[in-house]
Amino acid sequence: MITVNKRWTVNAFYYFLYIIVAGLFILPVLYMFVSSVKSDDRIVADMSSFRAFLPAKNPSLDNYVAIIQKIHFFKFFKNSVVVALINVSLVTVVNAMAGYALGMLDFKGKKYLISLVIALAIIPTESVIINRFMIVNSMHLLNSYIGLAIPTIGYPMHIFLYYNHFRGMPQELIDAAVVDGETYNGIFWKIMFPLSKPIAATVAIMSFVRSWGDLLWPTLVTRDETYRTLPLALRALSTDVYIFWGQIFAFAALMTLPVLIVFVIFQKQFIQSLAATGIKG
Amino acid sequence: MKFISLQKGGLHRNQTRTAWAFCTPAFISICIFYLFPFILAVFYSFTNKMLVPRAGKTTGFTGIQNYLKFFMNDTARIAFRNTALYALMVVPAIMLFGTILAVFVNKRIRGVKFFRAVYFSPQVVTMTVVAVVWSYIFSPGKTGLLNSFLALFGIGAQTWLQNSGEALFCLAFMYVWQTIGLEMIIILGGLQYIPQELYEASYLDGCTIPQRFFYITVPLLRNTLVYVLISVTIGSLKLFTQVYVLTNGGPDNSTTSVVYLLYKAGFINNQVGYSSAIAVIFFIVVFIISLIQNHAVKER
Repeated sequence: MITVNKRWTVNAFYYFLYIIVAGLFILPVLYMFVSSVKSDDRIVADMSSFRAFLPAKNPSLDNYVAIIQKIHFFKFFKNSVVVALINVSLVTVVNAMAGYALGMLDFKGKKYLISLVIALAIIPTESVIINRFMIVNSMHLLNSYIGLAIPTIGYPMHIFLYYNHFRGMPQELIDAAVVDGETYNGIFWKIMFPLSKPIAATVAIMSFVRSWGDLLWPTLVTRDETYRTLPLALRALSTDVYIFWGQIFAFAALMTLPVLIVFVIFQKQFIQSLAATGIKG
Repeated sequence: MKFISLQKGGLHRNQTRTAWAFCTPAFISICIFYLFPFILAVFYSFTNKMLVPRAGKTTGFTGIQNYLKFFMNDTARIAFRNTALYALMVVPAIMLFGTILAVFVNKRIRGVKFFRAVYFSPQVVTMTVVAVVWSYIFSPGKTGLLNSFLALFGIGAQTWLQNSGEALFCLAFMYVWQTIGLEMIIILGGLQYIPQELYEASYLDGCTIPQRFFYITVPLLRNTLVYVLISVTIGSLKLFTQVYVLTNGGPDNSTTSVVYLLYKAGFINNQVGYSSAIAVIFFIVVFIISLIQNHAVKER
């Protein structure tokens, strides 16, 4: 009886600490959502007290109306979605194909290709960004969805991830399929790729988070508002001559909400995917 | 017998053809967008190449002038110092608090998974959003959100992002806030890999909690911690988003980072040659850190 009681106290203490720490991570996000339905005056007035985290007495959607009608939020949203769709779908498939060939098929020159992937994985994207920009410029791809989405299609780290995965798959699967008259091409699409859903989900989620949040590359590639993505538009909003904080919070909230909803639904996959590279070392 | 060997030869050809076809899209892409820009960067770093050619100025070799400029130039030195300082704030904070958080949530208790997800959740908030929201929390003046909170403890109002002594700290704080949940999960993965019997045995041997932590947890967590150390270090050296969204390198160059400098030199100031030299030096630094990682992990 005493031990049960003691355990209960210890657990209560843990929950107490868990909730305090959770506050550190939740409050800033909560602050963003709460402020997005307040007027600018209200935001400033509430700033110096705990009311900053409480919803307004009469919440209004004025900020949302303004960013949708005046700032055309959904134009930028569409740009971000299109770029992410092109990028994520191609990254997931193209790198899987290369990983399958390197990991399961036997051919001359394979060793060199693997070394090349490992060597290129070390190069930080940021250090080649200006020169990559010059190449995309000479291909006349500035200010286009293709120019925004294409450069990271082949991604050394993802090829390596897939390569490691396919290397661990049983070779007998291929031999059996070959005996059944299946081609190596067919084996990938019908057997190997469908068997690789978890790793494909990892790559998809990682490339989505990257594409959705990228600021540097869209800064270089977009010339005007037409192809601006969400992070760029938010930056433009927050460095404008007149700053409307209510609208900034509404914009930030609206671009975070879809990802947050997907995260809540697929938490487990999200967490495992983003941590996956760590466990693999 | 003959039939089988013929069949095998044909199959092998088929295999080679498929393999090359499957490698082509990814390898064309990484050659155009990783390898080729890298070669260009090394090449241009020895020239006075400009982004937009100016009339009367031709591109030519200038030897190691860009590198000399880099080592003589105050801004470049400041950018490297700022980036190193930023890493020195971010890395120990994430290592220490990330490990503490991981141990803290490594408990079989109802609802713990919910809290792990909550601590992880800032990871899905884009850095631009994080920067904008925190910049408002860091509002200067007595009525600023954080300043009002600190006033409860008798701490005077700070000017945060407008203060050359505090701005870099604010940027580091945002990064730690966003990333620590991810590192917590990675360290947690390492913790759960440690066999529970070791703890049970140490319990029977009468080990104290600190003894258990330093003699069992830390040594067995070594590879995970080295991985986190290196990846967080490299991640923090890439500081750009917060600078570009909030400070543009100011006040007084106190937040100019290496990546921001190479963006500014190449894209704004038109000096691709100089920007490429910065890129090459940046690459060498990251490369050395990666080598240290490989060495440290393989040792065991």
